[in-house]
Amino acid sequence: MRDFIKSTRFKILLAFLAFLTGIMIYAVTKGGYSISGASFIQTITKPFRSFSNSIGMKIEGNLDKINNADEYYEENKRLKAQIGELNKQLTEYDALKAEVEELRKFVSIKEEHKDMILSQPCDVIGYTANDPFKSFTIDKGRADGIEPNCPVATAEGLVGITVEVSEHVTTVRTILSPDLSVAAVCSSSPADSGIIEGDILASENGCTKLSHVGTNNKIKPGSLMITSGSSGLFPKDYPIGTIKEMKYDVSGLSMCSVIEPCADITRLTSVIVIMNFNGKKEASE
Amino acid sequence: MRRRTTREKRILYVKTSLRWLIYYLIIFTEFIYMTTGTWLKPIILLPTALAIAVNNNQYGSVVTGAVCGFLIDIACGKLFGYNSVLIAFFCIVISLLFELYLRNKFINYMIITAASSYLQCWLDYKFYYQMWNYNNVHLIFRRYTIKIWVYTVISAVIVYFLIRLVNRFLMPKKHLSIEEAIITKTQ
Repeated sequence: MRDFIKSTRFKILLAFLAFLTGIMIYAVTKGGYSISGASFIQTITKPFRSFSNSIGMKIEGNLDKINNADEYYEENKRLKAQIGELNKQLTEYDALKAEVEELRKFVSIKEEHKDMILSQPCDVIGYTANDPFKSFTIDKGRADGIEPNCPVATAEGLVGITVEVSEHVTTVRTILSPDLSVAAVCSSSPADSGIIEGDILASENGCTKLSHVGTNNKIKPGSLMITSGSSGLFPKDYPIGTIKEMKYDVSGLSMCSVIEPCADITRLTSVIVIMNFNGKKEASE
Repeated sequence: MRRRTTREKRILYVKTSLRWLIYYLIIFTEFIYMTTGTWLKPIILLPTALAIAVNNNQYGSVVTGAVCGFLIDIACGKLFGYNSVLIAFFCIVISLLFELYLRNKFINYMIITAASSYLQCWLDYKFYYQMWNYNNVHLIFRRYTIKIWVYTVISAVIVYFLIRLVNRFLMPKKHLSIEEAIITKTQ
């Protein structure tokens, strides 16, 4: 041992250790930055380390899978159940969102027409089979206070009238039917009035027809037709549809037009029944 | 006719009940189909009532015809009972025709169904559209009535084989005594 301590080899090793210590002290003084040598080594070895690291990670991952298979299986099951629960909540949320949207629209009707007594929103159960005029049934009836000849509408516009009321189901005749006539006026020129009545040709495209309009009218394509409220069957100033094109009728004495209803009558999902309003004519009258 | 044993009677009872249950399940399913969607649909309950009438006695046929008619009235928004009367009448006539004059063949059924459904569609057009003198009412006949009739006749093919399948497994077979067989043969 004494020989080793006295040997040159020991002195060289000691000097090397001192050099390393010097480097270490120098590195401390760099304040967190690598010294150039270290940086060089890092740069040179980086790709190799990356490659070896990826292999190591894969091996580690596979071993982990094998070792913790049961744990992962349980976790997977738990997460799947959690996803199912979240999906269910999402579906409920979407349904609620849609319902809120619908209700918001109906609230706007109530705000605009304060005199009206509206039913609960009614779901459309289905359209009458093979009916060219798209009559349909709703899921509310006599038990909900609905009576025959009540106007049926959406927030967008008038849809039709109740015709056959059962305890919990009601059939609605739409404004596409020639059996339903609605007195209408133009919203931009209230002096121009006419009768909106279904037409076989127009109903094929989900439209209805305005007729008996005076020849010197100011109605233009795109004008909005609203209920006149004169019959006592429909509330005053409720939107019905827009004018497509005015033309003379067969007799040439008056004008007529195809009307595009404000509400898409061929694709209804929910409606409301206007159970009472100012100026409503009672059935006995 | 050969006298049935108690066991045979029990089997007959179960099979008959099951057969009618399936008939009415088919009718119910068809009703649901008829009330679904906004597209043009065949009056599929009509061929069903007729197919049942072809193979069964008048009592069963007339009740089934009436039920199918009521369901058609509900699905198509017609006066409750209108189609019921019509189809019950068709069922009685067809049941009698097949019992007395016609053989239970596919072609006979199709001819009878085509004629009956045409009559039903035509009467529907007459009473619900033409009578009220709407403008362009002929378009209803051309664009709706005829199409519905064609769809109904096409659907009758499926209905016939469906009812035949049910009958094949659940309709009791006629058992004749030797004397009856000889008499039938000599006739």
